[in-house]
Amino acid sequence: MTNASASKATPELNSYLIFQLGNELYAVNVFYLLSILELTKITKVPQAPSYMKGVINLRGSVLPLIDTRLKFGMTETEITPSTCILVFEIKKENETIKFGALVDSVAEVVELNKNQIMPPPTLGLRYKTSFVDGMATLNDNFVMILNVEEIFSYEDIVDIQEVTDQVKHTITE
Amino acid sequence: MDKFAEKFIEEAVEHIHVIEQHMLLLENEPDNHEYIENIFRAMHTLKGSSAMFGFEKISELTHELENIYDDIRNTKRLITREIIDLTLASVDHLKVLIKQGSNLTENLLNNHQYLLQQINELTPSLKSVELKNQHPKIKIISRQNITKSAKTYYIYFKPDSDIFNNGTNPLYLIDELVSLGDAIVMPYLHRIPDLFKMDPFKCYTYWEIILATERQTEEIREVFMFVEDSCKLDIYKISNNNLITHKKFIKRIERLIQEKCEIGINEALIIAGEIKESVSQKVKKVLNDTSEYGYKDYTATSVRVSSEKLDRLMNLVSELVSTQARLNLYARKENINELTIIAESTEKLSRQLRDLVFEIALVPIDVLVTRLQRLVRDLSKELHKDVVFEAHGTETELDKTIIENLTDPLMHIVRNCMDHGIETAERRMMLGKPLKGTILFKAYHSSTNVHIEISDDGSGLDLERIRNKAIKSGLILPESVLTEQQIYELIFQAGFTTAENVTDLSGRGVGMDVVKQKIKSLRGEISIESEKNKGTTITLKIPLTLSIIDGLLVKVEDIFYLIPLYVIHKIHPIRHNTLKLFYNNQITIDNQLIPYFSLRNIFQLPESNDEVIEHLIVIDYEDQKVGLVVDHITGEYQAVLKPVGKHYKNHEIISAATILGDGTVALVIDTNRAIKYFNRIFINSEDKL
Repeated sequence: MTNASASKATPELNSYLIFQLGNELYAVNVFYLLSILELTKITKVPQAPSYMKGVINLRGSVLPLIDTRLKFGMTETEITPSTCILVFEIKKENETIKFGALVDSVAEVVELNKNQIMPPPTLGLRYKTSFVDGMATLNDNFVMILNVEEIFSYEDIVDIQEVTDQVKHTITE
Repeated sequence: MDKFAEKFIEEAVEHIHVIEQHMLLLENEPDNHEYIENIFRAMHTLKGSSAMFGFEKISELTHELENIYDDIRNTKRLITREIIDLTLASVDHLKVLIKQGSNLTENLLNNHQYLLQQINELTPSLKSVELKNQHPKIKIISRQNITKSAKTYYIYFKPDSDIFNNGTNPLYLIDELVSLGDAIVMPYLHRIPDLFKMDPFKCYTYWEIILATERQTEEIREVFMFVEDSCKLDIYKISNNNLITHKKFIKRIERLIQEKCEIGINEALIIAGEIKESVSQKVKKVLNDTSEYGYKDYTATSVRVSSEKLDRLMNLVSELVSTQARLNLYARKENINELTIIAESTEKLSRQLRDLVFEIALVPIDVLVTRLQRLVRDLSKELHKDVVFEAHGTETELDKTIIENLTDPLMHIVRNCMDHGIETAERRMMLGKPLKGTILFKAYHSSTNVHIEISDDGSGLDLERIRNKAIKSGLILPESVLTEQQIYELIFQAGFTTAENVTDLSGRGVGMDVVKQKIKSLRGEISIESEKNKGTTITLKIPLTLSIIDGLLVKVEDIFYLIPLYVIHKIHPIRHNTLKLFYNNQITIDNQLIPYFSLRNIFQLPESNDEVIEHLIVIDYEDQKVGLVVDHITGEYQAVLKPVGKHYKNHEIISAATILGDGTVALVIDTNRAIKYFNRIFINSEDKL
């Protein structure tokens, strides 16, 4: 019991959740993961960046939802029966940030040891290298291990200017 | 360990609060042993526990303070103003220390050293205090049997140093004076130099005399008839009663002499005033009320719960309430008798539970009151205005976050009262008002609101001056006709100030408008009443809790929005093509031109059909009316507000969300921000055209 609670205090957990966006596999450390939900009704919030999908009702509290595909520069998530919401909780400094991330499908939870994880490639990545913690191979497939804290931080989301410009643009049209 | 440290901090904050609270009480009643005991106990505990948790600086400082209060407790030392000042300064310092933890800046350390040094400088004076204690108590010289109708005079007599040259012996004069009635004579010898430097032909002594006599001022003056040109002489009548028979008066004078060595006319007047109006009696009563409350705190069986747990409980209960709504909906739809009965009784229970939980989250306002009391005390020194702070209804409860948000506005209001409201002692004397000003704080419940009144007995608002100032700063036109209330409202406008002098505290014209905004953001109201030379009363009306709001549920496309009911002025159904008739987003309704924004348009949704009836909601925005056009109005809804998460923290339109009975999320519109934002978009798009 003490062991479990001690290990929970650090992100040094070796369990990773594998999920899919399009044909690519990604992994996130389960330390950040609260739960996996089926798709529920999404309330769209107007005047927000397109990858901010809206909010959902998570057992009585309101949870912001991110379209992971859009955030990664892919096309918008198409809703299929396998579409899932991953609920994350990140503790940063003094605050706790909770949010949901829309993914195409969830595969499995695997154990990855430190020596199985390779450093991320420095070239040819579609997104910032700080988003990726490392790479691993799983059944001959490459898996990208994501840095949840970096990718889903909300600081860059409050860039309202971008939205305003967008709105201005459409209104002028 | 961390958990314990947290607990320590929590308790330390409380101890410091106790110290501060009792210090302020003690200042008015320096002899109250109970207060001293409480202060000592709190310091003692704080010292012990801070040492235990490694807050060395705190334990160091409290140790020194504790020593002093131990002496006071054992009557080895008298409580002086110096000690009170120093203790309060230390309390401020302790607050910072606790907040900073181990993260100490140089500034802080310097201040720490300074305080320690000050305290140490106090300590050696222990002996002299003891000496002073043995200093003969004031002797009342009584030569004549005087009646109760005697008046009390304060006489300041300072002969010129060469007074001996014309053969006058000042002592004879004093003797003659004393023969007029009962007197307290206080000779001051401290100006006498060393024996070697002393000129035996010069007079170095001066006197203060409190005299109770039936004679008039003129008759007293006659005593000094021959020396009036060669001395400084002041004679004031301080009371129409014989104060010398008042034990309390004598005590105050005694204390004053020990503290300050000299009384001075001002202090004499103040003390006399106090006795006369027996304000002291009243003050004591109020103070007793508050202190009684303080004790309740300790004797009541209460449980300390972390606010985080409370928040969670609150969340669960509001979830229960939403689920309840769903159950009701289902029960009605299915029309099963049994189910309806169950739904109804659980509804009763969940409503009771909800009310109870919201009640738990309320805290008494007295924390805030102590801060105000402290402010009044500090300012009255700084501004040299003697002001009593009376508080009623400190047990009134409000949501914790509201209390936090109220602190700044209330401090500002009190600061204004002190700075502009209460006049100087001289002016008050001229107007025949009690020399001590009073600031009254009153809090009470009224339906789902709490009213907070702050009144002073100062000069009141000068309508003419406000008007002139407003004209000068271009807020109103010279010819505009305003009611009294409208003129008062002007002081809430940005950039308004009537103070002739900009002081440290107020008068910069920032303030009252900020106060109003802040109160508004708490969904409260502020109003003002004033009478010239009688005083000003500012009343705040604040909702009990921030987490429930009455709103209007509307729909745009397929999304529900909630608009707070208190901003809504009117709702007009309107055909879409009628809107098209108006140019430049302005519509004429009730003979008034109202700018409007269509939410469909702003959210870039397809336009409605021409024949569709839309709804124009007229909203109070700052001082004007603005319309918002929505598709559909669902009805009134009492919503439990939920945060929308950090990701939408800075959203321009949505400030919160709520969950409807069927589990759908509705978005709560912050109309003030939203309209500002809509306006920006609109102006930008106009620019492009």
